[in-house]
Amino acid sequence: MLKRVAAVVLLAPLAGLPAAAHHGWSSYEADKPVTVKGEILSAKYENPHATITVKGEDKVWTVTLAPTSRMMTRGATKELVAAGKQVSAYGYPSRVEKDEMRAERITIDGKTVEMR
Amino acid sequence: MTEAAPALFVALEQSSLGAAIRQSVWLYPAANVGHILGLAALAGAVAIMDLRLLGVFSSAPPAALVQPARRIAIAALLLQVGTGFLLFTAEASHLVLNPVFQAKMALITLALANALVLGRLSSTELDYVPAHEPIPARLRVAAALSLGLWLVVAAAGRLIAYA
Repeated sequence: MLKRVAAVVLLAPLAGLPAAAHHGWSSYEADKPVTVKGEILSAKYENPHATITVKGEDKVWTVTLAPTSRMMTRGATKELVAAGKQVSAYGYPSRVEKDEMRAERITIDGKTVEMR
Repeated sequence: MTEAAPALFVALEQSSLGAAIRQSVWLYPAANVGHILGLAALAGAVAIMDLRLLGVFSSAPPAALVQPARRIAIAALLLQVGTGFLLFTAEASHLVLNPVFQAKMALITLALANALVLGRLSSTELDYVPAHEPIPARLRVAAALSLGLWLVVAAAGRLIAYA
């Protein structure tokens, strides 16, 4: 009885794993990288991850970046990652959120910054 | 922000507290670090209590270990509630729909109910049990359940980011 309860309890969190995802690299398709180039329409310089929307050639992408402290350390400041700038973002489309991708690196004003 | 979430959680995420947590450089990471340290304290205290009831550390009278460990566990749990609330508020509308987060909250409810039962049983059955004496079976069952539940709660917490 105790064993059965333990098994159910131990496995319960796994039941929801493939469902609605938000962050963590595992919910992005690493084997289908995309490069989104265009104007930054809006920028949220926020934790746990900064996000920008980019007017790509095909559609408007939401691009998930990195925690703000990491971005600042690497020179991707709030002033650099701002609405109106041209960006090139290399990353992976989300399996779950429509039109969202997570950037491996971004290039703005000739400056390339790694996000991982 | 997702509109699919209940209005209460959308409002919480959009509150000035939610915005402050997201826009501060240090607040979210600080809450994250606090939540990990609180987990270490909670899991350690829970392990001492439950392992004693399961027969480990049997040279100590059970109440001598269980009572101070319970005070540490309660303090750590309060830290977890506080830091967890900050982490939750930053992304409330997403997290409330996250199946692993939902499972974690359900498991915490079970673990707390079990802890209340365990507390009641141990206050009546444990106080005068000397060292090396066997622990009553229903206390051992509750202790095993407690240890399993809290470890799964911790694992679920880490897995929220991957669901």
